[in-house]
Amino acid sequence: MNKPELIEPFENALINPAEQVRQWKKENGSKVVGFLMTDVPEELAHAAGFFPYGIINGKADLEKADTHLQTWVCSHARSSLALALGNKLDFLDGLIIPQTCDTTRMLLDLWKQVQPLPYMDDFRLPRQVDRPSAKNYLVSELKRLRHGLEQFSGCTIDPESLKQSVNLYNQNRKLMRKIVDLHAQDPALISSREIYTIINGAMVMPREKVSELLDGIVKALEEQPYTEKDREPVRIFLSGTLLEPLEILDYIEEFGGTVIGDDFQNGYRYIESDVVLKDNLIEALAERQLNRIPSAAFDIEHKPRRIFLSNLAKEKKARGAILFHIKFCEPENFDSYDNLQAMQKNGIPAMRIETQFGRTGLGQLRTRIHAFMEMVGGGSK
Amino acid sequence: MSAKNIFKTATLMKEIMARYNNAGKEAKKNGIPVAWVTAVFPVEIIYAAGLFPYYPENYGAVAAAKKIADKLSSAAEARGYAQDLCGYARCGIGDAYADEHPIGEILEPDLLFCCNTQCGSLPKWFEVAGRFYNAPYFLLDTPRVGLETDELCKDYFIEQLHEMIAFIENFSGNTFDFKKLSEVLALSNEACRLWNEILDTAALKPAPFGFFDACFHMAPIVTLRGTQEAVDYYRALKEEIDERIEKGITAIPEERYKIYFDHIPCWPRLRWFSELFASRGALVVASQYTHSWAYSFDLERPLESLAENYTHEFVNRCFDYRVQRKINFMTRYGVDGFVFFSNRSCKPNAIGLYAKNKLIREQTGLPGVVFEADMSDLRFFSEAQVLSELEPFFEQLT
Ligand code: SF4
Ligand code: SF4
Repeated sequence: MNKPELIEPFENALINPAEQVRQWKKENGSKVVGFLMTDVPEELAHAAGFFPYGIINGKADLEKADTHLQTWVCSHARSSLALALGNKLDFLDGLIIPQTCDTTRMLLDLWKQVQPLPYMDDFRLPRQVDRPSAKNYLVSELKRLRHGLEQFSGCTIDPESLKQSVNLYNQNRKLMRKIVDLHAQDPALISSREIYTIINGAMVMPREKVSELLDGIVKALEEQPYTEKDREPVRIFLSGTLLEPLEILDYIEEFGGTVIGDDFQNGYRYIESDVVLKDNLIEALAERQLNRIPSAAFDIEHKPRRIFLSNLAKEKKARGAILFHIKFCEPENFDSYDNLQAMQKNGIPAMRIETQFGRTGLGQLRTRIHAFMEMVGGGSK
Repeated sequence: MSAKNIFKTATLMKEIMARYNNAGKEAKKNGIPVAWVTAVFPVEIIYAAGLFPYYPENYGAVAAAKKIADKLSSAAEARGYAQDLCGYARCGIGDAYADEHPIGEILEPDLLFCCNTQCGSLPKWFEVAGRFYNAPYFLLDTPRVGLETDELCKDYFIEQLHEMIAFIENFSGNTFDFKKLSEVLALSNEACRLWNEILDTAALKPAPFGFFDACFHMAPIVTLRGTQEAVDYYRALKEEIDERIEKGITAIPEERYKIYFDHIPCWPRLRWFSELFASRGALVVASQYTHSWAYSFDLERPLESLAENYTHEFVNRCFDYRVQRKINFMTRYGVDGFVFFSNRSCKPNAIGLYAKNKLIREQTGLPGVVFEADMSDLRFFSEAQVLSELEPFFEQLT
């Protein structure tokens, strides 16, 4: 089997997600629950028989959101609502928005006004993880969420199906991490663009299918022999809330780089840890959420984000770091200066780039990445 | 609040605020820890613990009112903090990095407390400040509450109050004094009661006191609630207002309409707005903003009661609750129309305003309008644009 063919289903799912979602609905007679950002306990929705669908990618006509969301609201929110208003999410039956910032805190209620769905709920994750109260609260919040999902599905989520869903998601994540590891050992095996296509594609595909496909990819990669290269690619670390647009990866590779780590919600943060299988799976889901790597939503006292990031970049032997900032994303903006300082302090040349869903000037983006790659020792391939 | 119409009590306020600011500087010298807190935060605990509570938001509001928010902000912007962040945060972070301090420096924290019931900007700003000043930071996390009472959120908050008290004890080495807390809560209750009595006088026709007056007189309820000074101040103000009612002195010369306004005022143009409304015979009588400080604590169950008050405050509530609350104010104050300020600094209050405007117009039949600007930064304020948004509204008032 050849690799591009194996990755094609992920690519296609990103280009035209609706088709296969509708197909799934027809075959399974069940419902689709969308989510924003990615700090969402998808396993719960999956165990209730739903298709958890990540609204991260997709080309929206941002103007469609203008009457409801001011132009200074982050483009992830604007683009997601615009997708809905443009009937590009008409297969959704439900929506869960995790409250990671003021925008996500207010968005669900507004969405209810302009595009109501049969099931809509916030996931009110705690904004601190350093104290015992966070876990007590989160366990209750997850139970509340479970209850809502059960009401919507009409049946209780039995422990056995939750266990199966957890297993499936763990398996998915494990295989994706395996791909990331194989790439770290030999970047020529698979491109950065392909890796993030897989991660993002998985969010809009039926999970059972994802597992099968990932299995095939891992096998194909493992069989591929190591190729001697004249020059190793320049190792680049990325950080930010959401990676968008995926062309970023093409440009990094075009100028001799490869991505060796990140903390994006739609990147490594999505796959970095599993739910520990134990009797009380709600508690296990809570623990996974609490132990996630730091993000912009809030800083962690025992693991400050800037230190975590700069150490990770160093550990991964990054030659440079690019910090992305979705324009108008407040949490990320509050972090970026200190993150930049920490990178530089750790001896890692770093720069910031602002992007916007659907609005990033690709030419300029390419030029900036080119300049940075030259500086850190890359250049055209 | 025209120039001729200034309250005598205003002088008293300047005095007590000067005393408060001075006490902050003295605290530093006398070894009393300076604790940064947020506006909607159980400051009663801080007062009871003998720490000095300092409000960086206030610093931002003062910078805004003095029309220097853009200057202070530029030192933050030079480091990549974008112009679209909350203006208060930009002023605070800007001051940390700035070489010049036209309104004096922000008071450096020894420790920082933040409650995110208001917004997510404050915790992010305080995190930055905690790193900058190298001071410990404590977040009272408040998940958003819907229409109904939320026990889950309340229990979480109570558990955190215990954690916070332990955090303070650990910092200061002193055992927390619950008797003192009781005293502080009683004073807070009294100040809130007086403050709301004062706000309610805006319902009289014509009224002696309106929203713009409230903006001017609100500093003590924010910063000094829980102290005798706040109680004394609002007692004096209430007396003066009663006197005005007797003498027939009104907030604006010819009150023809009453208006509901959300949310924070545009500080650098406060006078311009108040004169604009007055010139149309419109008195702004209520805003959820000035009504935020309406706490009522049960001294028998202090922590539960603190949790109920601070988690169920409107700023932490859902869309439907807020719509209902606004309509209740409109009814209670008998307004003829409403104006919503889409304040780009304050996303949690501005997001959803257009939908609220539409819904409330439909439900009440009142004229309503949304205008765009920033509460502190004049770079995002256009007089012509605001007028073009407000004029058609004024014309609809009947
Ligand atoms: S502001 Fe940032 S964290 Fe919030 S929804 Fe937008 S991208 Fe996500
Ligand atoms: S103005 Fe709004 S965003 Fe800024 S601190 Fe106040 S509540 Fe938060």
